[in-house]
Amino acid sequence: MRLSSFLVLGCVLAIGLAQAQDAVSRARQMESSGDTAGAARVLAEAAQAANASEASLAAVAEFLDRHGNSGARTAYEKLIGRTSDGARKRDALRRLVLLDLQAQDNAAAGRHLEQYRAAGGQDLPAALPSWSQSEAMPVIEIPGPVFSFSRMAALSPDLKPEELLPALARNIVTNGYQASSSQEALEQTEYLKLVFRYLSQARELEKLSGADKTIRIETCESKETAEILRILGFRMRGSCGTELILETMNASRAFLTIDSGFPLAELEQVLRTNRPFTYDYRPTRAPILYGAEYWLSSREKQSGEFIDTFMGDPALCRLYLGLSKLDRETAEELRKVVPAQRLRAFAHVLDFFGGMFLIREGKLAVPGGSRSAAAWTELAGVSPDQGAQFIERLLTRDDGWLSSYFDALSRIEGPTLDYLAEPERLKRFYAALRGRVTSPGPARPVFRSNTDLMLLTTRLRVDANGQPHIPGGVEVWRDLFVKHPHGKYDGKLTRLATTWKAPDDVLEALFALCRKAVENEPLKIFMAMSDLSRKRSAALEAATVDRLARQYRALAAQYPIFTEVPSLSDAAILNYLETAAEISSIRDQGVRANVAGTFQALVGLWQIFSRNEAIPSSAAEPALVSIVDSFGKLRNGKELFNAGVSGVRTLLKAAGASEQVSEQDYVLDLLAGTAKPGDAEAHQQIVQEMVRIFEGQKLISLKMLMDIADHLDALAKGEKLNPTLFSRLTTRLSELQLPRASLTGVEKNALSFGYWTEKHIEQQRKMNLRAVVERAGADAGKLDDVREDLAPTLRDTLVGLNYLYYAPPGAQLLRTNPLFVRSHDFLGVQGTNQTWRNTEVLGTGWPSSAGGRLVGSLAGMAYALAEAEQNFLIPSREQALIWGDLVPQMILSAKIPRWWQVTPAQVHWVGLHVRLGESLAAEAMLDPARRTWLGSVLGRQAAPARTSRVTELLSAGNLPRALENITVSELFLIAGDYVKNNKDGGVLVREIQRLAQASPDTVNYQAISRAFGTPKPTLTTSYRPELLHLRTFPTLMGYSSRIMAESWESSILYYVALADEMHLPPGRLNVAIPEWTQQTVERIFATHLEDWPALLRSLRVVGKETRDRKKDQQEKAAGGGA
Amino acid sequence: MKSMLGVCLGLTAAAAITATLWWGAPVAFAQQEEERPLFRVKVDMVVLTFTVTDSKGRYQTGLKPKDFRILEDGIVQKMNTFGEGNKPPVQVLEDGSTRPILAGGGTEAPPTPSGVDPRTDAFVGTNVFVLFDTSNYMYRGFVYASDAIADFIRGLDRADSVAVYTFSRNLSRAADLTRDRNEAIVGLRRAVAGDDAALYNCLLLALRDAAKVPGRKVIIVFSNGPDNASMVAPDDVRTVAEDEGIPIYVISTSDVNKDPISTNVFRRISTRTGGQVYFAKTWQRQVEAFESIRESLGNSYTVTYYPQPNPNEGFRKIDVQLVSDPGKKFRVRARPGYRPGREFE
Repeated sequence: MRLSSFLVLGCVLAIGLAQAQDAVSRARQMESSGDTAGAARVLAEAAQAANASEASLAAVAEFLDRHGNSGARTAYEKLIGRTSDGARKRDALRRLVLLDLQAQDNAAAGRHLEQYRAAGGQDLPAALPSWSQSEAMPVIEIPGPVFSFSRMAALSPDLKPEELLPALARNIVTNGYQASSSQEALEQTEYLKLVFRYLSQARELEKLSGADKTIRIETCESKETAEILRILGFRMRGSCGTELILETMNASRAFLTIDSGFPLAELEQVLRTNRPFTYDYRPTRAPILYGAEYWLSSREKQSGEFIDTFMGDPALCRLYLGLSKLDRETAEELRKVVPAQRLRAFAHVLDFFGGMFLIREGKLAVPGGSRSAAAWTELAGVSPDQGAQFIERLLTRDDGWLSSYFDALSRIEGPTLDYLAEPERLKRFYAALRGRVTSPGPARPVFRSNTDLMLLTTRLRVDANGQPHIPGGVEVWRDLFVKHPHGKYDGKLTRLATTWKAPDDVLEALFALCRKAVENEPLKIFMAMSDLSRKRSAALEAATVDRLARQYRALAAQYPIFTEVPSLSDAAILNYLETAAEISSIRDQGVRANVAGTFQALVGLWQIFSRNEAIPSSAAEPALVSIVDSFGKLRNGKELFNAGVSGVRTLLKAAGASEQVSEQDYVLDLLAGTAKPGDAEAHQQIVQEMVRIFEGQKLISLKMLMDIADHLDALAKGEKLNPTLFSRLTTRLSELQLPRASLTGVEKNALSFGYWTEKHIEQQRKMNLRAVVERAGADAGKLDDVREDLAPTLRDTLVGLNYLYYAPPGAQLLRTNPLFVRSHDFLGVQGTNQTWRNTEVLGTGWPSSAGGRLVGSLAGMAYALAEAEQNFLIPSREQALIWGDLVPQMILSAKIPRWWQVTPAQVHWVGLHVRLGESLAAEAMLDPARRTWLGSVLGRQAAPARTSRVTELLSAGNLPRALENITVSELFLIAGDYVKNNKDGGVLVREIQRLAQASPDTVNYQAISRAFGTPKPTLTTSYRPELLHLRTFPTLMGYSSRIMAESWESSILYYVALADEMHLPPGRLNVAIPEWTQQTVERIFATHLEDWPALLRSLRVVGKETRDRKKDQQEKAAGGGA
Repeated sequence: MKSMLGVCLGLTAAAAITATLWWGAPVAFAQQEEERPLFRVKVDMVVLTFTVTDSKGRYQTGLKPKDFRILEDGIVQKMNTFGEGNKPPVQVLEDGSTRPILAGGGTEAPPTPSGVDPRTDAFVGTNVFVLFDTSNYMYRGFVYASDAIADFIRGLDRADSVAVYTFSRNLSRAADLTRDRNEAIVGLRRAVAGDDAALYNCLLLALRDAAKVPGRKVIIVFSNGPDNASMVAPDDVRTVAEDEGIPIYVISTSDVNKDPISTNVFRRISTRTGGQVYFAKTWQRQVEAFESIRESLGNSYTVTYYPQPNPNEGFRKIDVQLVSDPGKKFRVRARPGYRPGREFE
């Protein structure tokens, strides 16, 4: 009996265990195949079973933990309550401690820490540290609430108190003053005048607010009512009561009232109802470095409030800005040694090039370390061991050249730094950069003017032999400088070039050119050539580099085409250049525009298909060569049409299309990203959006054009005319209206361009193909000639297909202006030849055009289209405008890549890295050693001030604030570094390693870079997405924040981690990422052009909203189910 | 000037409930016959707002459905509902007589092909979208403009709803569509000055929002005129307004002779959409302009109808004829026509 009971019990347990194991392995399979939602369901069911096994509880907890689900903590608690396995319990408790800290539940963290130690855990402290808050800074007071001051001073209300003055200082420096027309001194801009006027009004209101800083109006009839209305610049129309209305009495004051966001409507409402009005009018308290005393001269200290003196002195603001960029220890050292008045004279250098200074124990860290210290001593005249004095010398030495050199080298690492920091080379290149005349220095303009230097040092490649990569060899560059194609770059360098023998000679010349304020073409050529050869298996031949260098001015915008397929041969590249020259030589401008448009559109499609691997790399070159060859010697429109049709067929064949497919449908499939989507719904959604735009633009489908071409052949063989085919085309084209048919004479005179595009459209409108065909009868020759009439239509269709691919979410222009695609101007304004140049947006501001249009080649169309569309985005916050240089790049990053080839494991891998990064930050709050390590890894990406700030915040136990200062790509790198060096690092590390082992070809850092990187056309001369892990660039002269935007890689990584958390299948990324990008852009509330933390905040807001939406849906579903 | 200003509250536009008819079900749209996906001509219920004035510009009120004949491309249309000013609309019966249709009216709603119940507030009153230019061009008159708009909002009929949008380079939804006047004024009074002016871009976005709202709607643009940042052309925006049946009223604070291009464009987009333009440089004139708009809204007629079968997929010309005016003494102001929309099958 007893035996049988045991047997039964054993059987039950065995069955239960087997079921649990089955559920766990089933869930694992589902997760691997991308059905993470299904896996979560299976595990949850297994864990909820009355006899849930330890294994299933552990599987649930770890699954939730790996996917960033907040339920992980509860699941771990349940596991701890059940398990008797000591190691498993310790692991679970360790994770719990970190998850508690991430959830800011310190009480639970303390409790679990105790349990962890009791269970034998050793690597975390016995108790939570008593986190010390960082020393509070002194504060100044600014009249009026922070909300109003922020509105008036154009500051984001999301700024932390300590960020207020640096942000204000920056706005004053960049927007507060302008050159005066009548005198040498700067004069205040309208922006600053308004801020001062606001302060004056705020002071009056402050007086009214009394001791408790609250404005109180008891009744409509109170004497304070009249006073407050006087200050606000309003008066009452009608007597107290429901008829009362507030209207403007003093326009200046009233403007400030409304602009500063005073609750006027609420005041009016209260007066109408005769209720008391109260308004908290406590002043803004802004922490200030070193206290107000430090910044003011003795005379200034007498003269009034700090804020007025501060805003009234742009040099003081510049100094404040410069010092606020230093880490605390460095700033303190500098303050002790260098008087404020002396620093003020060089504040502009400190502001632009001081951000990388780092003093520790009195010594300054220099690029190249101890090996280069002596060379730096020689250059500055003081040893870096005397940190503050060394900085002073750097700042004051040569109007900023040495500082900018120091700054540029401080931002790089690895073999390039090893090479450049070699002592002799360090001095030689500095001498070249500095030149003889040092003024004006690189810190004088509004933006840093050392752009070229930063780009050169960042992008210089050092080969395995330790020598810099000189594309094509030294000879090519010597010839270029000696036999320059467009006039001398520099007389002295031209003379010197004849003696060049080594790579250093070329680089010395490039460093010398970095100091030039004018367009630095040789450096741009050098960087483009380096980029072209970067991913190639075989180096470009010298002759090819030479040809590319010499045609750079005319064809540079086309070079990213050659980086799409790294295996492209030299012959194919030269062939392309040859054909471009042939097309440029077509004299008839209308024909040239059609040929160039059709050619570029086909190449554009080739780029898209190759990038998305729809065309395999082995078939890419033959396809491109075939297209390029067919455009080499076109004589007329008939041949153009045939070349276009043949190009389409070539592309389809290269993409593996069967001959039976509809050309239009297949091309749309490929443009959506793949012809074999894993997620049919997402694919269909993308296709439908493209078709909507295609219809909106009234384009003619490829199929119809092909059918007509085939029908012309058939007619020549004696077949009967199919009138329907032609009438469909005619109907479609008759819908086209010339832009602004109702233009008045004045408006027509205001037009400055567009002649050829209007002619192009008119030509199609007037085309009566049926009549032409009927006239041709069965004459094969004449019927063949009909194709000429179709060539412009085919051009528009092909160009339109390119537009469809890159259309940003919403695409208002493409939906509203039916001629937008047809208006693409391949010629440009009279007198300019823009056929091969980068795409530009022209015609903004309606009086000069019939709406904006794109001009130039199709090479930069993705960016131009995003640039044109960005003003249709609607900011969700007050004071927020769309960020001109950043937003197009963000849209580009969401539209150029497609994620159909991405595997669930890749998505999960990114999610795990981001979560591991956050978890390591939490651990760093407990463990000083971990904190030091994290600081050292972060320091490779972040400036010293930010790195110190993060470690300070972590040591103060403030994880959320610390994470606000770490970008997502930095979290990814931190996690990557940890995984490399810690084989046994808990559930997240184990899973990262398991995924990498299971799919070594797709789950590795290189594959992730390809899958989730961003295109960087300016930085890499390529649209192929990749992760470069560069330091985030500052704004640079000539590029504003475009390069900063290209160095920003966090958005896509964040979205992918979010998708992993939301259990989205990878195919959905193709829909979700463009949507999330739009939402992110609309929620950015930045103060200035380097305010990437605002972007990070916006990303997290979108993440939170997405999570909340999902939670709501789940709750509703659960409610509905109940 | 400050470069980063503008309030945005996020409009949760009500889903459009306009009924949809599919004409000639098996007939696919134009060229895409054999390809996917198919488009079809989509004809929503047409909402047509118009005014009748005499030779002196005085509004003619009290007219009945039988006084009008609506033609679309010459095809006589059958009125579905008829409304005057902000009075509740009535159903128009086969014989031209009417009966109330609002809840409490004691009758059933007129049938609609898609089963949409028109007994809703959406069809009472007007949805007024105020588009306030806060760009640099309006800097000097900003506060007076704000006062004039506030007065206008206060004076709207109780049945009307109002939304306040502001714009400079971007659009900002200062106050969502609401019947709460105070809410709208709070949004208005929070408007802040911006920089560049993208009037037509933002007018387009306002139209897109307005198009999602059922019932009668108008857009009132309050601007100085110049546009230095738009990508869309005024006539493309005007076309959208025509197709959506949304009259655009423009109050220009500029001198009529100062900016002839803006003046002409304002005239064109307002006339072609059934709206009106006012050149009101002073505050007093602005108040008068708003008064005139209010009067126009209160004295307009709104007719809805489902278009009779019409093969025309392009611009359909609308003609409102006054049957009771053989001498043509009265003038009807209405939009000249629209283009039917296209949607996926």
